[in-house]
Amino acid sequence: MAEPKVIIGLETHVQLNTKSKLFCGCPTIGLEKPNTRVCDVCLGLPGTKPRLNKAVLEKAIAVALALNCKINKLVPWNRKSYFYPDMCKNYQITQYDMPLAYDGYLMLDFEGKKKKIRIRRIHIEEDPAKLIHVGGDITKAEYVLVDYNRSGVPLIEIVTEPDIESPQEARAYLSKLVSILEHLGVYDITNYVLKSDANVNITGTERTEVKNISGIKAVVKALSYEVTRHKNMLRRGVKPMRETRHYNPKTGLTHALRTKETEEDYGYIVDPDLSWISISSELIKQIKASLPELPDERAKRFVKDYGLNQEQANALINDKALADFYEECVKEYGEPVTIAKWIVTELLKSFNYHGITLRESNVKVSEFLELFKLMDEKIITARMAKELVKAYVDTSKSPKTLVAEQGLRRISKTEELLGVVKKVIKENAEAVKDYKSGQEKALHFLVGQVMKETKGQAEPNKVREIIKKKLLKQL
Amino acid sequence: MNALDFIKKAKKGEINLEDFYSKLFKKLYDIDKKYECFITICEEEAFNQLKNLPNGRLYGLPVSVKDALCTKDVRTTAGSRILSDYKPPFDSTVVARIKAEGGVIIGKTCMDEFGFGGFSTNCAFKVPKNPHDIERSCGGSSGGAGCITAVLDEPHIAIGESTGGSISSPASFCGVCGLTPTYGRVSRYGLIDYANSLDKIGPMAKTVREIALMLNVIAGFDEKDQTTLNENVPNYEKIDNIKGFVIGVPKEYFDGVSDVIAEKVWDAIKKLEDKGCKIKELSLKMTKYALPAYYVTATSEASTNLAKFCGMRYGLELPLEGNFNEYFSKVRAQGFGEEAKRRIILGTYARMSGYRSKYYLQALKVRTLVINDFKKAFKTCDLLAAPTMPVLAPRFDELEKLSPIENYMMDVLTVAPNLAGIPMLSIPCGSIDGLPAGLHLMADHLQEQKLINAGVALHG
Repeated sequence: MAEPKVIIGLETHVQLNTKSKLFCGCPTIGLEKPNTRVCDVCLGLPGTKPRLNKAVLEKAIAVALALNCKINKLVPWNRKSYFYPDMCKNYQITQYDMPLAYDGYLMLDFEGKKKKIRIRRIHIEEDPAKLIHVGGDITKAEYVLVDYNRSGVPLIEIVTEPDIESPQEARAYLSKLVSILEHLGVYDITNYVLKSDANVNITGTERTEVKNISGIKAVVKALSYEVTRHKNMLRRGVKPMRETRHYNPKTGLTHALRTKETEEDYGYIVDPDLSWISISSELIKQIKASLPELPDERAKRFVKDYGLNQEQANALINDKALADFYEECVKEYGEPVTIAKWIVTELLKSFNYHGITLRESNVKVSEFLELFKLMDEKIITARMAKELVKAYVDTSKSPKTLVAEQGLRRISKTEELLGVVKKVIKENAEAVKDYKSGQEKALHFLVGQVMKETKGQAEPNKVREIIKKKLLKQL
Repeated sequence: MNALDFIKKAKKGEINLEDFYSKLFKKLYDIDKKYECFITICEEEAFNQLKNLPNGRLYGLPVSVKDALCTKDVRTTAGSRILSDYKPPFDSTVVARIKAEGGVIIGKTCMDEFGFGGFSTNCAFKVPKNPHDIERSCGGSSGGAGCITAVLDEPHIAIGESTGGSISSPASFCGVCGLTPTYGRVSRYGLIDYANSLDKIGPMAKTVREIALMLNVIAGFDEKDQTTLNENVPNYEKIDNIKGFVIGVPKEYFDGVSDVIAEKVWDAIKKLEDKGCKIKELSLKMTKYALPAYYVTATSEASTNLAKFCGMRYGLELPLEGNFNEYFSKVRAQGFGEEAKRRIILGTYARMSGYRSKYYLQALKVRTLVINDFKKAFKTCDLLAAPTMPVLAPRFDELEKLSPIENYMMDVLTVAPNLAGIPMLSIPCGSIDGLPAGLHLMADHLQEQKLINAGVALHG
């Protein structure tokens, strides 16, 4: 049987980094102390009325343009009604049938191919309060505390069409999305972890919605779990019901919250306290003209100006911090191709091993550049540098410190290397024979063995020279 | 003495305000005992205000405020049990503007719960009695405002609020003047919402000149209410001649109106003609669709506004039991009156998916047609004239027999202009067996001045 097709759509909430909330003047930062960033409006006191923070609108339009969306010229605000303890008004102000933007796309470079993820819509809405479940998770908590600091914080919701075909593709989409938002300067990842609702099914099963998953990694885990669960159910002939599930980040599992017989009924009406947003062509033009360089353009520039290949450029621009890091290194040191190679192959490998990003690491431009200086000064070999990258990411100790602590240095003197070469030749008679019969590749192997014996400290060119001479009996 | 003369004298120091208010409050308690027009009388707060009274346009004037408007640290119930202990931490914009001009808030007037009613009988605390016959209703929902305006001899202006006719109805039944301004002319910030796209705050007084004075104070843009109009506020007290005004008389507004009332209204219209106005009969064909469109729109909005009263942040506090849904339901079951529950259910139904396009969205479309209907009329007319209410103030025992639909039908003459957001003025136009009849004048958006000019010409 052919592998069933995975169908994923994501609804991602992002906090826009405006100074104040969506409908009042309360600040959006310094939310640590509960219920200190609140006012009559964001607490929904009877008689208060919301008033739009225009900065939110401009940032949201920038996102819509960056995601190639069409923009509605006249947008009402809607009340989405449901009773829940995190909502002080028991309705959320959002945009329903006429969202800010629709019909866009995000272009991915995924597994060497271009992949278009269509964006169905983008709308602006207010964040509810934060519920703090005490004594367990949502299903087991003893009681719940409410912190209204988040109430009224501006969010945009970005909804894709069901174009995503694997959890890995979902990761690529979210990474690219975050990179675009960061390039736009509208989103501060350290202040707000993006939250997604994931709709997933495989051919032959009903759609499951996993609600409120924080961050990117958790989305990939939740989706992987769901895909497996759906496949298992299909195999066992159980048809998964249309339902809403909750993801537990501690276990990596999802749990059923409720079955979805029909669409939830939120009784949307136009919010009569807010005038409709009127978006002029001039405003759109103005925002378009002031858009900063976006990831794809940046990648093009990396290829054109720095001579990188497309793959390297893509790897760098997928994380704005990493691309910035790269350009700072180049500015400081030059050698754009070499630096890119080291970042993309060595540094990223270490990050991926630990499942972290540059931002979560302690890697700094000046310390990272020490590697190149150590190589230039012929204190270390490239092979040693590779090991040092790993150790640097692992320990947060700078390459220079590591070299000093471990007494590392490059070995290039014949007398120091001769002993090891002799040992390797003795232990690898077969390779020696191959080399002598004209197979150049065998020489590489022998050099590699010496490098291994010296823990990478040997200078490979010197080793090659010594082996050649030794086998020609010149030594 | 009217409010204008009183303020002049007070400013000259010819009135001892301490004495005046001591006597006034004694009287207010007596009036309230007989007519039940206040939910809260603000004696202590009023004397606090006197200690440091701004020498403004309302200096020393007693002002009553409908209990739907928030008053800082003064109980504000909107006529509902669910808010029986609610003290807002801020003043509504209208109250703040009145206080800043030296107006003294004397009390919070009785109203139907959240404005849900036309007779003030749906108040959780009291039912105001008509000053002309205490067995009859004051109208509503600003019934307490109409009552105290009629009954108090001392200078006073009331602040009422209208969603579908809640200023005009009590003005007509109590025999006073009531102005419902253009939607957005007066800030709603701090008004406990009934239906936000329809709610309008306006003054009620014995004379139209007093209404003009108060409108000057409360009208104008407010950055706290995005629906206020950023339009210049003229000096409404500058009264002009109405000679040459074209007065439209829509025939639909006399259907089902009692003959004695129609007669009084026509008398008033003839007086306008005598003052040089041209009378023109016309038809407003969309009027008959206004009532259902109004109730669908108003209840849809109301049902979302009232959601916050669930015992979580606002509303009664009961012993915590069950899950949040059960708790919320219990608070709402105990806190809301019957009419509030009826309108929540109606409104929730009208905006449910499956019914939303049939009712809620359809009502929005009808509303546009009603507006266009009026706009067309105002191309050729300066004002429209009609009866305010189809009947004289009804007896309480008659009201009890009305079905909800018959009850809603009483608003038939006032809902269309309210739905259109145009300004309207009800002024007394004579009485029948001691009960007042009301003339309803309507004008195009922001043409309050025309209403005031005509009102002063007829009534002063």
